[in-house]
Amino acid sequence: MHSAERQTVYRWSFIWVGALVSLAGFALLGVALTSSQAWAEASPALGLSLLGWGGLVQALNAVLLVSEQAVAPFPHTGVLVAGAAVWLAGWALIAAGVRRAPASAEGPSPAAGATLYPRLARYRDFYWSTLGAYGGGILLAEVVLILLQTLLSSGVSTAELSGAAKEGGGLTLAPTGAFAIALLAGGMVAFISGFIGASRAQRLSLPEATIGVLYLGLPIPIILTLMERLPGLQLALGYRLREVTYVAGLIGRPELGYWLVFTFLVLALVLGVNTGFIAAGSGRVDLKLGFELFVARRHVAVFRPSLLLGTLAVLMFGIIPPLLVYFIIRSAEAAVERTRIRKLGLKDPLAAASDLNRLKLHEQSPTMMMTALSVGGVGVGVMALIIVLSVMSGFEADLQQKILGTNAHAVVSKYAGDLPEYTKVMDAVRKVRGVVGQTPFIINQVMIASEGNVDGVIIKGIDPATVGEVTDLPRNILHGGSLDILYTPEKIAHRGLTDEEPAEEGGVEEDDIIRRSGTAKKPAVLPGIVIGRELAASLRVVVGDRVNVVSPLGTELGPSGPIPKSRAFRVAAIFYSGMYEYDSKFVYILLKEAQDFFNVKGATGIELKVADIDDARRIASQVVKALGGYPYRARDWGEMNKNLFSALRLEKLVMGIILSIIIIVAAGLIVATVIMLVLEKRKEISVLKALGVPDGGIVKIFLAEGLQIGVAGGFLGLISGLSWCIFIEKVGIKLDADVYYIPALPVRIEPVQTVLAVVIAVLVTYLASIYPALKASSVEPVEGLKAE
Amino acid sequence: MALLSIRNVFKSYFLHGKRIDILRGVSLDIERGELVSLVGASGAGKSTFLHVLGTLDAPAAGEVLFEGRSVFSMNDAEIAEFRNRTIGFVFQSHYLLPEFTALENVAMPALIQRQDRTGAYAYARELLERVGLGHRVDHRPGELSGGEAQRVALARALVLKPAVLLADEPTGNLDPATGEGIHQLLRDVNREQGITAVVVTHNETLARSMPRRLRLAGGAVSEA
Repeated sequence: MHSAERQTVYRWSFIWVGALVSLAGFALLGVALTSSQAWAEASPALGLSLLGWGGLVQALNAVLLVSEQAVAPFPHTGVLVAGAAVWLAGWALIAAGVRRAPASAEGPSPAAGATLYPRLARYRDFYWSTLGAYGGGILLAEVVLILLQTLLSSGVSTAELSGAAKEGGGLTLAPTGAFAIALLAGGMVAFISGFIGASRAQRLSLPEATIGVLYLGLPIPIILTLMERLPGLQLALGYRLREVTYVAGLIGRPELGYWLVFTFLVLALVLGVNTGFIAAGSGRVDLKLGFELFVARRHVAVFRPSLLLGTLAVLMFGIIPPLLVYFIIRSAEAAVERTRIRKLGLKDPLAAASDLNRLKLHEQSPTMMMTALSVGGVGVGVMALIIVLSVMSGFEADLQQKILGTNAHAVVSKYAGDLPEYTKVMDAVRKVRGVVGQTPFIINQVMIASEGNVDGVIIKGIDPATVGEVTDLPRNILHGGSLDILYTPEKIAHRGLTDEEPAEEGGVEEDDIIRRSGTAKKPAVLPGIVIGRELAASLRVVVGDRVNVVSPLGTELGPSGPIPKSRAFRVAAIFYSGMYEYDSKFVYILLKEAQDFFNVKGATGIELKVADIDDARRIASQVVKALGGYPYRARDWGEMNKNLFSALRLEKLVMGIILSIIIIVAAGLIVATVIMLVLEKRKEISVLKALGVPDGGIVKIFLAEGLQIGVAGGFLGLISGLSWCIFIEKVGIKLDADVYYIPALPVRIEPVQTVLAVVIAVLVTYLASIYPALKASSVEPVEGLKAE
Repeated sequence: MALLSIRNVFKSYFLHGKRIDILRGVSLDIERGELVSLVGASGAGKSTFLHVLGTLDAPAAGEVLFEGRSVFSMNDAEIAEFRNRTIGFVFQSHYLLPEFTALENVAMPALIQRQDRTGAYAYARELLERVGLGHRVDHRPGELSGGEAQRVALARALVLKPAVLLADEPTGNLDPATGEGIHQLLRDVNREQGITAVVVTHNETLARSMPRRLRLAGGAVSEA
């Protein structure tokens, strides 16, 4: 029904000349930029120009660089201005070429002068208010997110952010908790803006949305990304945005975090736009769903036990076994049915014929197959996400437990020097809320030597009385040993003397006698030392053996000059933490011995245990506050093991993104399925419209159909994923303990990420069905009602 | 004031770059309670005219007034509601929704209005009995004969007691005897409920039996 002549006529001469002119302008801009020294810094951002609006980024970037670098301002300011002007002129020419009004080729029709179809008369091509709502909404969402994050996690008032020196009370939350709230708030703002914008224009207004997101939404994530690259920008903004960068830094790659959050906000905006269009696009807000669900459930009967059970079986046991079982059941059923029909046929042929007919009608339609496939696709995606993320969480939890079992949650120390006043510090720290244990320690690096071997280790002076409050060390001692034996080294059961041959022959009893007499001769009792299982194995020592600890730091004067300080210890106990690093690298002695050995007064620092490990960062900063700040410092476990955990989180995130691709493929299936449905139901759509279902209602029906598939798939994926996780947990998948230091694959089901996987799947399927649903609503009633 | 007034309505199609004018400035008044037949050659634009009358198709120019109000200047929701409450359609083919039973199909307009389901089903059942299909309520359209399906479609058009019934060759696909039954039903509802009805037909005897007869030819409507 479209005429061959289109309304828009392009004046190609204008467009080509405009394109050339703008290209020249772009080249001039490029010359101006490359001649500045900032070029080397700005060139990474050039990649952004591929996005189509690079000129603006370049200009912004260049301005920022100029303001930061006083050394080299533009040598060609004139060129820059000229380039910008030429560039804009080129675009103006292009615009003039496109916006030519069509010339009417025919004379006036008989209808000239009659009342124009009112809707056409009312048509508007661009809504500035909608652009404002979309663009302003996404910008506001970003600002709200950043402000809330800063406000909630650090307690800084907005006044301080804007530069005024007013101390605000504010409440403080753990950064991740604050981030969750800020993200929700930002998403809500974006959603509401999209809703308002779409209901204002009563259509989707894609041009407005594109312009709004590109020109008002992109700058903030771009500035944040540039901040990571440009030291000058970091200096100017870094402090104000420290809470934001901290949260983004948790995953190791802050830029990735910024863009993920930005994507999330854009999605929230899209959802808002879509919901606004559905709710108010036809001129009236209508959020009721009863009728639409009624129709949608008939169109795709997803929630049938046979389909759900079948898909679940495929997810749980693979494709072949359930298919075999299905065919066996079906053929058995058919055989029984046919026998029954034959018997019936002997009495009543007509009834038998109708039954036979029904048996043949019992076939699956292609759309039904597509639906089942889509459900299965979403299910596989969700299942894979849940299993892989749970296993990775298991590894992370395992690692975290081992690290936190041996290490403290936080460490208080001074920026330089020891902590002679540690008892006073401990009294002050005890008053901080959230601290549940503390113990002083001295740490140093030494060589440890036995008869058989020598190794470099980290030696720690500990207070056995309080160390149990902070670490699992007392519980990790093997063979029922105890740390208390460090206080009474004379009670350590000796085994062998330094001058004994290791491969000695003779009875055990004799040895015992020699040993006892040997110790009795010694006037001084050797202090005890606790070493790890792996170290004990590599040194080839057991409890009671003697080891020498050599410190390269404190030297003693010997006959031939300074010699490293050395001291003999007796192995008092052996610990096993389960972490190879610790079992092979850590040894423990009494705090007092360490003080003597290293000439330290007091302690190196104090180890703390906090009630909530996720809150360690905040409590650490409060401890410093309680101690009066400098010269004291407190570092939490996350900071001390930052590289390890951020690498783990990044790995998990990337894994999640990769696995989400499965869901996206499934979403493609859903798009295809719903499009097929729309094509199949064209006639029904027309009839429904003729019966008085508004466009929004049609959209809702087909959205509900896509969503049903998503919900069913997500639900099945959840069940099968959780079952697999429980299977792995209970039955276990064996790992090579020598390689992984873990006997079996660890699994930890985290409710938040599990729910998130399902929510993402449902969200993706919802987004996927938007396009076909809109297609369905644009079916004109008369299209489907033409006589066949 | 006329119930339906058509003012200077134009409608054309474009086929292979050529404009075909279907309606050239049609103007017409239909009073409340009238029973109107519309005849014309195939392709004369009878269906298009009926679709414009029922807001299923938009005219290029001109106005359709219902009780003095221009229907095409309403927004989508209002137009949908107008189709739902004011107009009842019967098409040449029954156009029942295949996934739903006869009862659900008849009740569909009421369900679209979000009426209570039990109430809607009760009245739909009553209507089905009225058209003589009380024994077919739970059958799907695929299990009904052509005449039965068309009677269900008529019941569906009447379920919300519309002001106007628009029928597009309702008996075109039926044998004369079955068709006559449908015609009788149309006349009955017009007489009993005062429903205004416009019936497009090829059937000259049927057309002659209507109180007011219109003929569409050359893009214009004339009284015949």
